[in-house]
Amino acid sequence: MPWALLFRNMLGHPVRSALTVLSVAVALALLCVLDATARGYTSAVDLAAQNRLVVMSQVSLFVPLPLAYQQKMEQVEGVQTTTKFQWFGGEYGDRGGFFAQFGVDADAFETMYKEVSLVEGSFDEFRGERTGCVIGKGLAAQYGWALGDEVRLTSAIFPRGAGGKEAWTFVVRGIYEAKRKNFDEQTMFFHFDYIRDSLETGAAQGAEGAGTYAIEIDPNMRAETVMSAIDALFENGPQRTRTTSEAEFNRQFMSMMGNIPLLLRSIGGAVLFAIFFAVLNTMLMAGRERTRDLGIMKALGFKNGHIGMMLVVESMVLILIGSLLGVVLAKGLAEVMRPFVSGFAPGFAIDGAVLAQGLTIAGVLGLVSGLAPGLRAIRILPVHALREDA
Amino acid sequence: MAVPINLRSVTKSYSRGGETLRVLDELDLDMDGGTFYALMGPSGSGKTTLLNLVGGLDHCDSGHVAVGADNLNDMTSSELAEWRSANVGFVFQGFNLLPVLSARENVELPLLLAPLSKSQRREQAERALELVGLKDRMKHKPRELSGGQEQRVAIARAIATDPQVLLADEPTGDLDRETADAVLQILQRLNRELDKTILMVTHDPQAAGYADKTIHLDKGKLGRIEENTNITGAN
Repeated sequence: MPWALLFRNMLGHPVRSALTVLSVAVALALLCVLDATARGYTSAVDLAAQNRLVVMSQVSLFVPLPLAYQQKMEQVEGVQTTTKFQWFGGEYGDRGGFFAQFGVDADAFETMYKEVSLVEGSFDEFRGERTGCVIGKGLAAQYGWALGDEVRLTSAIFPRGAGGKEAWTFVVRGIYEAKRKNFDEQTMFFHFDYIRDSLETGAAQGAEGAGTYAIEIDPNMRAETVMSAIDALFENGPQRTRTTSEAEFNRQFMSMMGNIPLLLRSIGGAVLFAIFFAVLNTMLMAGRERTRDLGIMKALGFKNGHIGMMLVVESMVLILIGSLLGVVLAKGLAEVMRPFVSGFAPGFAIDGAVLAQGLTIAGVLGLVSGLAPGLRAIRILPVHALREDA
Repeated sequence: MAVPINLRSVTKSYSRGGETLRVLDELDLDMDGGTFYALMGPSGSGKTTLLNLVGGLDHCDSGHVAVGADNLNDMTSSELAEWRSANVGFVFQGFNLLPVLSARENVELPLLLAPLSKSQRREQAERALELVGLKDRMKHKPRELSGGQEQRVAIARAIATDPQVLLADEPTGDLDRETADAVLQILQRLNRELDKTILMVTHDPQAAGYADKTIHLDKGKLGRIEENTNITGAN
């Protein structure tokens, strides 16, 4: 392989080569980020715990279940631990900074969610303070919060004070990192009792009850049996329940937003097509401009295979350089986007699987883009190629 | 060893605009090894086509083309490529150097196909450039050379693999008289000193004067072969 010639040809049109490399880099970075988002989005389903169930109202996720249900559920055979999970819907600051917050039962939460690992503070400190909360390290980084900081939120679901403008105050008592990709690091967990006490004393308004209950079951029990038993228990209650596995609950929750992964991957596919035609056009132009040079090489004794391979390798090298740049760009882009994305795509990460897929696609792109001019170069007769204008 | 060239009943036609043009018509021609031939004739007489057939760049429709013991008709395009790399060197009117490579890299290009180490390739390319008097310009790109220098680099490239046959298509067509004479003297020296068989297409009678013999083609047929009794530059 005449490498010197190959690289000189690429450098012969530095602007065109640089633009091709840059367009591949940007496209690959975008492709990786979109794919990482789609994977992160579905990871909440794919990696959901097998021994956790979610109980919600059969009417709607927005209809609360009576608090009395919790004790009754704990009597069902196979149920080991339960916690309330109450969506708070709070906003931070005047500009509507939004992230997810849930009121939970602290003891049960610590027992059930082993993937939530405190890297600062402790569950004891969290438990010991009614207004205490634990926050993800992504959230801490985003807002610059540290242990002991006060976080003031206003909630439209549980408004406080006159006009609902009074803020709820939480104190950061723990910062967690997620040990599994089904859990994001952009969420706040606080004591459900803080809401209940505020409602009971009239300090806040809102519906009583719990939005959902999360249940941990005995791993030796069949989940379907426990689900049926719970739903049967409240068949004639004030609220009928629908109990599902955590994975199914996550799937249903996500489907409310439409098929996001399909949308993201469709955009990625469109990006891919656009870049494919751009690279193909560059390589066809490069091959056509060099027809006479290829004729000279044929006259000197280079075989058709050599010539075709040279164009394919040139395309692959261009794509490879673009891809390596794209990987760096994707990693940087992911860091910038993580706080905004990981709330709904907890497993968002430019990991090995994302990179492998992106680089494989780039490799195929390079191969196909090089094949078109390569095949043309193979087919053209040396006497015809030599007649081309230089 | 000087290599003769023999053509028997060679016919070659091209289709242009739905019309078939017979460029070479049952041509018989024998060229001695180690002789410098000029090939002359009016435009369209088949000179370049003949050169392409002898150089294995194209196949004839019928007949036989043999260079030394090699019958080119029997070879596939891949075998012809391999044969060209070892047996024939080309010099074109437009020089046909690769613009992105230096003079030495252009000369090294055909050597990439030979089983040589990098240092051997470099050494052989420098020797070829020295032979045409351009060793001091080996790092220059074609655009940094004059037309005559470019053509000398092209000659160095043609002889780098030490082929026994050199084919030159109007090698002085783009050069002034003085430069053309210098190039022709190099070709003549390669013939005299290294016993190369040279076939040179030209329209220029003065250029033909450097050859031992002149072949005249007319409408695809052999006109006559003239022995040059007053060879230019010969001692």
